[in-house]
Amino acid sequence: MAAVDPISGVSVPPASTGSGLLVLLAAVPADERQSLLTNLTEAFPNQGLLIASPEPFPDLQADLAASIQFVSAPASKINWTLTAADFVNAWQLAEKNQASAILMLGPDSSSLSAAEIHSLADAVLTNATDLAVAWYELPPSAGLMNSAILYPLSRALFASRVRFPLAPDLGLSPRMAQCMANAAQRFAPSNQSETPIWPVNEVSQAGFTTAQFPVTPRLQAHPNRPDLNTILPLVAGSLFADIDAKAAYWQRFRPLPPPFQGLPSLDSPAIDAATEIAPMLQNFRLACVNLQEIWSLVLPPNSLLGIKRLGTADASVFRIADNLWARIVYDFLLAYRLRTIHRGHLLGALIPLYLAWVASHLNITASGIDPERHIEEVALAFEAEKPYLVSRWRWPDRFNP
Amino acid sequence: MQTVAIMFFQPVADPTAPPIYANDTTLWQHISDSLHQSLMSVLSLLLAILPGILALILAMGIFTLIGMALSAILRRGLTAAKFDERLARNRGSLDWAPAASPTALVARVSFWACVLLGLVIGVSAFDASYSTATMQTGALLPYLTRVVGAVFLLIAGTLVARFLARSVLIGAVNAQLVYARFLSLGVKWLVLVLTAATVLDHLQIGGVVVELAFGILFGGIVLTLALAVGLGSRELVSRSLEGHTDHAADPGINAHNNIPEESIRHF
Repeated sequence: MAAVDPISGVSVPPASTGSGLLVLLAAVPADERQSLLTNLTEAFPNQGLLIASPEPFPDLQADLAASIQFVSAPASKINWTLTAADFVNAWQLAEKNQASAILMLGPDSSSLSAAEIHSLADAVLTNATDLAVAWYELPPSAGLMNSAILYPLSRALFASRVRFPLAPDLGLSPRMAQCMANAAQRFAPSNQSETPIWPVNEVSQAGFTTAQFPVTPRLQAHPNRPDLNTILPLVAGSLFADIDAKAAYWQRFRPLPPPFQGLPSLDSPAIDAATEIAPMLQNFRLACVNLQEIWSLVLPPNSLLGIKRLGTADASVFRIADNLWARIVYDFLLAYRLRTIHRGHLLGALIPLYLAWVASHLNITASGIDPERHIEEVALAFEAEKPYLVSRWRWPDRFNP
Repeated sequence: MQTVAIMFFQPVADPTAPPIYANDTTLWQHISDSLHQSLMSVLSLLLAILPGILALILAMGIFTLIGMALSAILRRGLTAAKFDERLARNRGSLDWAPAASPTALVARVSFWACVLLGLVIGVSAFDASYSTATMQTGALLPYLTRVVGAVFLLIAGTLVARFLARSVLIGAVNAQLVYARFLSLGVKWLVLVLTAATVLDHLQIGGVVVELAFGILFGGIVLTLALAVGLGSRELVSRSLEGHTDHAADPGINAHNNIPEESIRHF
């Protein structure tokens, strides 16, 4: 089931020979702790488990108490994704307890089945996989930032087919945990330990192996304040910074691993596209009137012309060409690198364009096209436009019509 | 000069001409003396401050050259020692811009420190020579330092105005405020007016008139903005309040867009 994409040619440290599985849990509501514990014990019936959690767990039955140990783990300030501090904690606990695999489960993990939990950890324990990532079954209107920016960028630049690069449920080998902790340590001096870090980028650069495992509908943790104006700059800014830091790696061409036969999109109640996209298009059109001056500092005339045309398009036929979207994201990435304008302003100016992409995506899926197919086409456009990014990255002052 | 004046006003031998009185000669004599004295005082002032000016230029030139040499040595040394890589390894990602790597930053700082040192030494030398000469004349040069300060204030104010205007514009567009540009312009002009008033005050121009004009103008802009935003955003405020109420009642509602969370989920 899993698609493993080994990248050879990079020397790696030897794997640890410790025993036992370390399970690092995010905050779990009190009423769900018992069911999570049941799932964990079902998933690993004959396995010694070390569970690290910020909250106390209920008392165990005598037969389980022998195989399960609890340790206290510091609570993360961000409750919707894994941060640099989480990876540092994971590695410190794994090293201290000589764990042979680490399973990190994000918030609301009680909705994961025993089999899903088992497959994530088992890939690391028995299949010598360094990073096991969950592939979530989401409705077409969910995880849109991932589909628009995170997945296509990570696939085009890091040659990885991991569909959810910022998945909150991961299985890590000790050396992968160490690699992530090293990456996370870099943020400690600048007091950015709550920054998201990117396991897929790290695993690609380190040359480790990756596997994905399907996860049936799971309760997805949401940010406390689901404010796009805060979340998009935080997540996209973090990814842009990581891409900037790994420029020497991704500028070389690397073949993609074979495609993963994943899940079709979850059937969900039909979305009234016209109603849903109206406020997004309103935002985009308002931005077309007001933000041209700022966009013109970032985008070349060709892209600006495309956006201007979109500004006058009718809502029912509103579509952003995939290659135009890819170039827009690449130009914003370049402007982030070159600090063309203040980075906060830059990422704020990306929000209306992202909303335009969402409107376009919803229109396309409403017309009967499989959302996964459209996301695949977007990812292909990002791959096709990669030479444009590399060229402008190397020679940013070259004429660009 | 005195001789020329005397010759110029020498009476011609005309018998019909009226007699020249001694008082006229004295008047022109006084004018000529005054001109002569002022010319001499300016020339002596220039002569007195000339060494100071030369010292300023010389100090600036020498320290600029020293700065360039020091900067080049540091740049080469740090590059050879792989300073950037070591710092990145030890201190993590510090978000350096491509044009401002740690090595480039150290080299630039050393260069500008030398230039600044040269400027300070030069100005001290100039000050020493000038203070001996200022026994005779007014305070034009001290005013020039105020002008320099005012120019810095103007540049800083313009930069802050532009930054705040962009911040407000982007924030307002993302909050779907139709009058985003108007709001942004209002903020920009508020800061520019404040800057202009500060600059004029620093230059000691206008006095109370500037303070009064600034108060009226600043208050006017604030009142205009308050009225425009207050009247224009009634719907926004009521929507926001409704959103908060709904959100408190039903946690499945996204307060920002007033869209049920289950319909569109960005993250």
